[in-house]
Amino acid sequence: MIQDSVLGPHQEILTARATDKKILKNAQDGGIVTALLVYALEKNIIDGTIVAGDGNEPWKPEPIVATTKKEILKSSGTKYTMCPNLAMIKEATRSYGLEKIGTVGTPCQVMGIRKMQTYPMGLRHVTDKIALIAGIYCMENFPYDSLKAFIQDKAETVPSKVVKMDISKGKLFIRTSDNETAIPIKETHGYEQSGCQYCMDYVAELSDFSCGSVGAKEGWSTIIKRTDTGASLIDNAVEDGVLEVVETNEGKFGLEMLRKLATNKKKKRQKNIDKALDIGLEVPFTKSDLKEDILENR
Amino acid sequence: MSKTITISPTSRQEGHATLSLEVDDEGIVTTGRYYSITPVRGIEKMVIGKRPESAPVIVQRICGVCPVTHTLASVEAIDDSLKIEIPKTAQILREMCLNAHMVNSHAIHHFLVAPDFVPSEDYKQVVKNISEIRKQAQFVEDVIGGEGIHPSDIRIGGMAHNITKNTKNKIKTRINGVIKLIEQHVEQMTKYVEAKEFPEDLGKHAQPVLATSNTYGSRQNISLSSINEIMPNSWYADKYTSQEDEEFAEETKKTAKKIGKTACSQIPLYDNTPVETGPRARANKYRKFKDVGVKAQHLARAQEMINSAERILELVDKIDPSAQTMAKFNLEGTDRLGVGVIEGPRGTNLHTAKISSDGFISEYNCIVPTTWNIPTMGMATEGNHYDYAPDVIRAYDPCLSCATHMIVVDDESKEVLKEDMVQL
Repeated sequence: MIQDSVLGPHQEILTARATDKKILKNAQDGGIVTALLVYALEKNIIDGTIVAGDGNEPWKPEPIVATTKKEILKSSGTKYTMCPNLAMIKEATRSYGLEKIGTVGTPCQVMGIRKMQTYPMGLRHVTDKIALIAGIYCMENFPYDSLKAFIQDKAETVPSKVVKMDISKGKLFIRTSDNETAIPIKETHGYEQSGCQYCMDYVAELSDFSCGSVGAKEGWSTIIKRTDTGASLIDNAVEDGVLEVVETNEGKFGLEMLRKLATNKKKKRQKNIDKALDIGLEVPFTKSDLKEDILENR
Repeated sequence: MSKTITISPTSRQEGHATLSLEVDDEGIVTTGRYYSITPVRGIEKMVIGKRPESAPVIVQRICGVCPVTHTLASVEAIDDSLKIEIPKTAQILREMCLNAHMVNSHAIHHFLVAPDFVPSEDYKQVVKNISEIRKQAQFVEDVIGGEGIHPSDIRIGGMAHNITKNTKNKIKTRINGVIKLIEQHVEQMTKYVEAKEFPEDLGKHAQPVLATSNTYGSRQNISLSSINEIMPNSWYADKYTSQEDEEFAEETKKTAKKIGKTACSQIPLYDNTPVETGPRARANKYRKFKDVGVKAQHLARAQEMINSAERILELVDKIDPSAQTMAKFNLEGTDRLGVGVIEGPRGTNLHTAKISSDGFISEYNCIVPTTWNIPTMGMATEGNHYDYAPDVIRAYDPCLSCATHMIVVDDESKEVLKEDMVQL
């Protein structure tokens, strides 16, 4: 295990994508999360998973318990708004009767799951049933109203016409069937949810494995193998041809970029944390002068 | 010359109680008195003035051993008061949850009595079996009730969630899998109980039984007008203190008076006499089981585990995973006394509730299983050596935290104020 304060503890980093064309068609990037959840389901590593399914409004996801490949495929792709997946964990073990739950979450959600496992208050017979935690990279997340503001005010369209949203190269792209609007990320500041201002985690450091597009060429994803559970799942998936792997770009647009973004997030957020602590606000993080390494996520 | 033997607190049971025994020269119990000394929590009073939906959540905290029973009795009482007809699937889910709880709770009791019956060489394996049985029963409680301890999904008007088809199949597989183990465990326990050298008539008494249903509970089979709750003082002490002649020794009168003031539970009488409730009572009334006494109680309890597991299998097939489990209702008070009767592991659990016309709980009362058994348990110790008395008590699996009520004593005169009872 490599102890790394920027990318979190990990075993190996690789660049991969799903081999299944069907998965790639709807995938955000390399279709890693979808492919691995389906694989884990088929291999009986998990018996169901909580994913961001369709809600009542377009692009407003609702957490759903998926127990079939079809349901997982239907919910693939990134939705840039909050989806309270953890709210369903207990129910998944109750009326859905799951015993090996796969979960997908942003870094804050992964932290939440780990905290649940450490202090299982009100979670009897729940945390022992979490079998897999997939983490996704996240700089910040937007409330649904913010997302609507981008779509309606900046892209001048309506949520139902949007076919894909993507953040890359410093821009938020909103695509409809006949148009594409690029909003510089700078313009989205102030729209993110307030908790994100204090989050030091870019790469879901506490997950079993994390993945995202940063550090890989288009259509591919960078995967960080962390725990033994995550590592063996990925190794087996590669061996079984569910994922294909290419050489990881260690350079400026590869891992350097990933490290740069993670470091920037940490530094920027540590400043906010220090500021909040200085004025007496309670944030569950440590002030920089009390840390040996200010990049540490704590 | 008689003397008094006091065992306080009695062990391997839930809660705290005292057993006070008058014995003759041979050590044979002539008068047995069993009474609760568990402190009062005031739960029945706590729910007054609250919204009806708070009641099941609060009263299930009466006990962590059988919260399912209290939750069900509470929602049944409120459903009855508000005249809510719950959907059929919800009714099935409730009954399944109760039966899973029955298996689980009886298994816990086997933990408690194992040192009395199980030979040391088999101990480890019996405990392992009990744990496995409990695990599977708790799974059913978890998925149906939302929570094994303090179930959150049993609600006024039905159940908060139905179960999925997948869960339905899992329950079936798991109970089918564990039923063999339950049968084997019951057979084993029966063997141990039968081999135990107890006096022939240990625990026998002449009191009638109280049971309302084989596997769930029915308000039709109980008559509120037959129930009479009396104060502990009148039960334990009146007989001794009202007579001024020399019939009772000074010592006896003193003990009786003291117990009357210390006992923390009311004495419920059915048709003016104490009754026995619990697995043997149900077996006697619904399963043609005629034996009486300590061994009979253990055997009936063990047999009931199979009965309940079979009932779960019967019910699970009737579940429609797509059906509604909540009734549509307006929460309007009726000022009508609702009755909830549930056959809990330890016997008939009766909750009554009234919702006032402005929608708040105006009356709430519980007569819980062990309360029924308390006077009977004392009587059942009579006629045998006092060494066996704790075995008699344990055969009832008493659970005292739920049976506790409190009496109010005048600070100056130290007299019990009979009209003033702070409940549960």
